[in-house]
Amino acid sequence: MILNEMVLPIIVVLAVLVGGAYSVAVMDRVIATRLGAPRAGNPWLSPLTRGAWLLVQQANVTEAPDGRAWRLAPALYLALAATGLALVPWSETLVATDLATSVVLWGSVEALATVVIFLHGWSANAPLALIGAYRYVALGLSYLLISMFVLIGVALPAESLQLTQVVMSQEGLWNVVRQPLGLPLFLVVGLGMTFWGPLNLADSTDLAGGTASEVSGPPRLVWDVARAAMLVAFSGIAASAFLGGWLGPWLSGPLWMVVKMLAVLAVLLWLGRVVPRVAPERCVTGMWVVLLPLAFVDLIWAGVAALWQ
Amino acid sequence: MNHGILVDIAFLLLAVLAVVSGWRVFRTDSMVRASFFLLLSFIAVGAIMLLLAAEYLGVAMFFMMGVEMMVMALFMVMFMMNPAGLNPMVMVHQHRISMGAGVTAFLVLGLMALLTRFPNRPLPAGLEPVASLGHEMLGGSMLIFESAAVVLLATMIGVVVLSSHRGRYGAANEGSLPPGLAPGGDPAGKPKEDQDGGHEHHHHHHH
Amino acid sequence: MAVSWLHRLAGLTPVPVFPALGMGGDVVLRRLAQATNIELVGSPRHASVLLVAGGVQPDLLEALRRVHDQLPWPSSSLWFRCEPLPELEDATRIDDIEALPGALAAIHRELLLQRRGSSPRLLPDNPPNPWEGLGDDGHGGEGMMGGVPYGRPMAMNMHDDIRDGLTLDSLTFRIGPFFPAFPPGMSAEVTVQGDLVQSWTTQSLPHLVALDPVFHDARQRSVPIARLELARVRYHLHRLFHGLRLAGWESAALHVLHLAMRLTSDSRADALRRRLERYGFFYLAALDGGVLEVEQARRVGGPASRAAGLDDDLRSEDANYQRLGFSPVFHNAGDTRARWQQILAEIEQSLQLAKQAAREDLHTQNSVAIETPRGPWSDERCPTDASRLLDEIIPGLEWDSALATIASLDIAALSDWPLVEDKPLTRSEERSS
Repeated sequence: MILNEMVLPIIVVLAVLVGGAYSVAVMDRVIATRLGAPRAGNPWLSPLTRGAWLLVQQANVTEAPDGRAWRLAPALYLALAATGLALVPWSETLVATDLATSVVLWGSVEALATVVIFLHGWSANAPLALIGAYRYVALGLSYLLISMFVLIGVALPAESLQLTQVVMSQEGLWNVVRQPLGLPLFLVVGLGMTFWGPLNLADSTDLAGGTASEVSGPPRLVWDVARAAMLVAFSGIAASAFLGGWLGPWLSGPLWMVVKMLAVLAVLLWLGRVVPRVAPERCVTGMWVVLLPLAFVDLIWAGVAALWQ
Repeated sequence: MNHGILVDIAFLLLAVLAVVSGWRVFRTDSMVRASFFLLLSFIAVGAIMLLLAAEYLGVAMFFMMGVEMMVMALFMVMFMMNPAGLNPMVMVHQHRISMGAGVTAFLVLGLMALLTRFPNRPLPAGLEPVASLGHEMLGGSMLIFESAAVVLLATMIGVVVLSSHRGRYGAANEGSLPPGLAPGGDPAGKPKEDQDGGHEHHHHHHH
Repeated sequence: MAVSWLHRLAGLTPVPVFPALGMGGDVVLRRLAQATNIELVGSPRHASVLLVAGGVQPDLLEALRRVHDQLPWPSSSLWFRCEPLPELEDATRIDDIEALPGALAAIHRELLLQRRGSSPRLLPDNPPNPWEGLGDDGHGGEGMMGGVPYGRPMAMNMHDDIRDGLTLDSLTFRIGPFFPAFPPGMSAEVTVQGDLVQSWTTQSLPHLVALDPVFHDARQRSVPIARLELARVRYHLHRLFHGLRLAGWESAALHVLHLAMRLTSDSRADALRRRLERYGFFYLAALDGGVLEVEQARRVGGPASRAAGLDDDLRSEDANYQRLGFSPVFHNAGDTRARWQQILAEIEQSLQLAKQAAREDLHTQNSVAIETPRGPWSDERCPTDASRLLDEIIPGLEWDSALATIASLDIAALSDWPLVEDKPLTRSEERSS
């Protein structure tokens, strides 16, 4: 019993955390090479060599940082990613944490991610990192509401806040078809909460790396792994909420999940490479003025459809 | 299914975390740290609520307090004279009164917890915590509350839109004017410059 | 300590290089961006090797020492066409750009295999000033306010907000002259509220910008128009490369660089324009702002002035350009977006001119006054430094827009010396065209 309820979930979450972050690095590298980046060497090896380099590098300090918060923030972000991964249902029974309110808990992961990313930039005590942190809060507060409405939309047909119920409600028709606005909006949220590609406002090139601009060595490795793991956790939630989770013919449930998560990851990573960074002001305006009303429409759509049945 | 001892241990650890981080709020020297210690304390309380099978309330505590403390920390940093909250400053004022109030409140609440006789009612088997909470709290007024929530959100967004620098009448930094009440008339709501504020106010009431 | 397998594995990474650009050092950016085993990083904290490229003026050496000390161990430095600092005894100097990627990789590998020691710290690791424990809470000021802890002013509500009246703490800091998003050599003192720039003072001027030798030849004698125009295209492409990298768009930046490398009179920029427009560069990136008044635009000259609606281009005074039907393209908005659109339009126009001129084998007629990609150049008028202009136009912009504006403005003065860029491939292609 202890084995099934305590050990197995932890092993599943850790395996996906490590394997997922690794495959994100490999996929991103392959996509970059396809798009013309001059990179030699084996893409399967490159995440490992980079990790090794960061491990042997010195973890530097800045002048008068908030040392504990600075070192803790990457680990906390990784912990949030692990929390997100624990919510992902791999099959009807294989779920690390099958909470009755797992959709809301994912919402809290998104909210707390804002805190952790701010803390990472703030505690370095350096101007560019601080600007990155401020910017992230503006972005985070903008995407949180979109995320909530879109997720309430998928909870309506399931009549439950439990992700396993949300998956089972898609037996007949996947939410990506039933609520066509949902997945595109949710993908924007995913890019936002991992500040990836076009929505990388926190760790951007104009801030010389933003919240991570002063970090080197092992803390930077943890930060990079945490971002990749958060992307994986997000793809797991997106696959469960919109792409029918473990449902599908021929293959077993967990395998279907892997396929769907890889598909979501491929789309996000591709978007991250082919679109320029969005200006912060345009990003915030777009989120409040365009995407939030679209999220309302999505919610009304879902509500009307739920009443119809 | 008897996790009794594990639940007890988790409760004790979380309770200690909640109290200690709550205490640190007043001992730290930065507003950002104070906010995040408070957040940590609330998260520990939320986790205790999860242990008490209040699945929705516990999780709601996480995201509500997450956003709330973030906004609070940011606004304190923005509007107070501490550079990004990294320079030291004392976080408490009126030490004696606040200490007295804190100790009294703790004792009263603690005594209530210890002396009250709680009813022994195990959870019914088929309890749906989220649905039952919703019926308990909102009952038949569900639709009213939901509509009020949407109206409130729309109001907040509206206020931000109206007060942002790209206002209804153009950019705020360009001294833009609202249109006149009559075609070609004076801009609506614009004080005349040659009159002082009080007079102007009076004048408006007569309109 | 024996070299562990971890160090061996680490030695296989692409070399993270932080480029500190001196005079004429920006050639290394283009070369290294295309190297397969180099990763150019934006912060010295992310680097393993500090590459000092081009001569560094004596007054910038102190700043260079500070950058040098920010590299986390194990780290070292390589000096390209520049004399190493005297304190660094075992620093390597190299002058051949083709050997640069190899030399960087060798240093990185040696560092990690512990055959080479890390660079020593050059400056003492002390606060610039002692912490002054004044005030109630030891923050260095009166009451709860003010003070200069560690010799730096505290962030204070000293400035009214210049945008929306929401007064936040303002934070003043200095940045440059080796900040990669700035023109090499430029540094500034910036006051920000949040990420809004409140005030901007340019402190050291950007390094002089060198032009392709063909522009220097054109002032002496008649040169083939095709060659001149291709050199112009290459200059603009290099600037676009920088702008796109700053916009976090590595793949498009490399596209631009490829185009610049393989430039012939038959090259076309259609694919580039499609890419920039389709993926929303002109719409999404931070290109609002940085509007130049006509007078300011004239001070900068060149494409920046044509992007602000001026149509002065010395090429229209050349008889052979007239034969090619040249008339200046221009945009009216005068902002960052208009400048990049102007650059793109001039790239297309120059490619068109080069193609026609190569077919008809036309040469320039006018050697007295020529239009360089930096602006008009004659005996009376030479493109001069316009970086003080930033003090006027940057305040009020958000950080992202501010940097995008700086990237879109070509503000450095013209160097008397032509560009030294060893690129055998391009030279031979140029001759064949």
